Amino acid sequence: MRARALALSILSSAAVLTVGWQLGTQGQTPTVPDATATTTTTAPNGGSMSSAAAAPAPTPTAAGSSASATAPASDSASGTFTGTSVQTRFGPVQVQITVANGSITDVTALQLTDKDQRSVSISNRAAPVLRQEVLAAQSANVQGVSGATYTSDGYLSSLQSALDQAGL
Amino acid sequence: MTLRTAPTVPVRTRRMVDPVDRTRRIRGRRRRRTADAMIALVWASVAAAMTLWLAYGGLNTVSGLATALTAAGIVTGLVGTDLILVMLVLAARIPAVDRVVGQDTAMAFHRQLGKPALYLILAHGALLTVGYAMADGSNVVTETISLFQGPDMALAYLGLGLLIAVVVTSVVAVRRRFAYEAWHLIHLLSYAAVLVALPHQLSAGGVLADGTVQRVYWIALYVLAFGAIAVFRFAVPALRSARHGIRVAGVEQVAPGVVSIHLAGRDLDRLQTAGGQYAIWRFWTGATWWHAHPISFSAVPTASSARLTVRDLGTGSAAISRVRPGTRVSIEGPYGVFTEAHRVAPKLAVVAAGIGITPIRSMLEHSTLRPGEATVLLRGSDPSQSYLWDEVGALRSMRGNAVFSMMGPRPQGLATWMSVEALAHGVTIGTVFPDLLNSDLYVCGPQSWIDLVIRDARAAGLPEDQIHVERFDW
Repeated sequence: MRARALALSILSSAAVLTVGWQLGTQGQTPTVPDATATTTTTAPNGGSMSSAAAAPAPTPTAAGSSASATAPASDSASGTFTGTSVQTRFGPVQVQITVANGSITDVTALQLTDKDQRSVSISNRAAPVLRQEVLAAQSANVQGVSGATYTSDGYLSSLQSALDQAGL
Repeated sequence: MTLRTAPTVPVRTRRMVDPVDRTRRIRGRRRRRTADAMIALVWASVAAAMTLWLAYGGLNTVSGLATALTAAGIVTGLVGTDLILVMLVLAARIPAVDRVVGQDTAMAFHRQLGKPALYLILAHGALLTVGYAMADGSNVVTETISLFQGPDMALAYLGLGLLIAVVVTSVVAVRRRFAYEAWHLIHLLSYAAVLVALPHQLSAGGVLADGTVQRVYWIALYVLAFGAIAVFRFAVPALRSARHGIRVAGVEQVAPGVVSIHLAGRDLDRLQTAGGQYAIWRFWTGATWWHAHPISFSAVPTASSARLTVRDLGTGSAAISRVRPGTRVSIEGPYGVFTEAHRVAPKLAVVAAGIGITPIRSMLEHSTLRPGEATVLLRGSDPSQSYLWDEVGALRSMRGNAVFSMMGPRPQGLATWMSVEALAHGVTIGTVFPDLLNSDLYVCGPQSWIDLVIRDARAAGLPEDQIHVERFDW
């Protein structure tokens, strides 16, 4: 009756929310490079909880290892490469990268989502974060900025095309 | 789960349980279980709306006051919209919902959700505006202007305006200042309000971004809610009306201001009307087509005929008492849980007053009753209100069952449902129905009178699920 309806409601809502929370915390991790992700979780089997909790951290730590791992690129490229302009709902996004000896030294946003003032402010917030992440990861495999989904997607796909041109 | 195996033993040992009573109890239990599951589904959908945001990684966006406000704004928008979609589903007259809880209970829940849903949507707008303004370092006014220029935002503000209009006319003016039709017409704007809000949900936010599961789920919710409305409010009634080709066969005056409308049509028994149910009728004459009337069947339909009995309570029902034979009639329904199928107790106690006799008569006609199972009390303030009483006494199901009448006005200034005379003789609900606590109580009549009957029944200790009421006030 009333009590049972209440109990059922609470249980089912809690279950649904837990699933959402799990998806939310895990959904933020998959872009971390595989190598580092495995090294952090090969330790005792902590289950999904620990990998989910540990995952957001490795992005910066990955920088050290993968930066030194750029050695194989001996015929390394240098110069500036401009990515394709990617159309998003909130305007085109285009980035340019500066490469020295096979490593990305700078990312410049030539154009960012600017359809309206709100897009501009989102872009202004997201761009520095994305630049930092890319420089740290030395690839387009980085976690996008939450709340700036379209900007992040455009930024990273333009970046990827620039990386392809540079042969990285 | 464990309950299923345990209780069979004590039930058997108590006494021989009548198979009919047993079926009733089982059906009642099943209905309650389904009703509970439906309630749980509503709250799970609210949780699912929050989950959309959680799964999107919403928690990671929160860092400080501005982002917290923005996040709260997104969640209130999702939950508010979810509640509005639930309201649409409740108003869709889905047969399964009507069968389990009854359309009037569903609509009561619908009305309860109205204000919270509006507040959530208002909070959605306010929180996001303030949150964005803080993040951008601007003020609320410039932020509102810039928001207004965003993708599909003009439509979203339009939706908000419509929503406020709908709820204000429903809550403040509650059909007092407005004619029912005017109110209802404004109410239909809520469909438009929910629809024009959809584009900005899909384009402006990241939660429902292109290619996400969230987007698919959200669109599915919209399709479900609007699909239910389209099918059960429009398609099914239209098809049913066309299929049965109902026309007025004759109008018969049964008392001053009370008429029975005899209807003729094809395969009316296929409507599967249970005695005690009502339908929403529209009489296609120049003066009456725009007004749909909920009217109870006063007899269980046969294959070729049906009968309604109405009192001219409003201007609309006065007009339908003058419809001519041959007038085309369309039907939405039958609906209602004031039927034998909803009984849970071994005995039956019935009280009807005035025009409230109509569903009572068809409910009793449709019931299979053993002698001594039912006690019926018919109530009227003067002899002009005794229409259909003779029919009740003559019903086959009433053989061996008592029908009492209580005639006379209620005493002035005293809150009672009984006549002066009955009160003077010390009559109570307990003396009329000695076995009340072992009975289903069916009550139909004017709302304020019903409330008094129910008050006495509750005071006597009758459990809620044994109280069955047909309300005529919507």
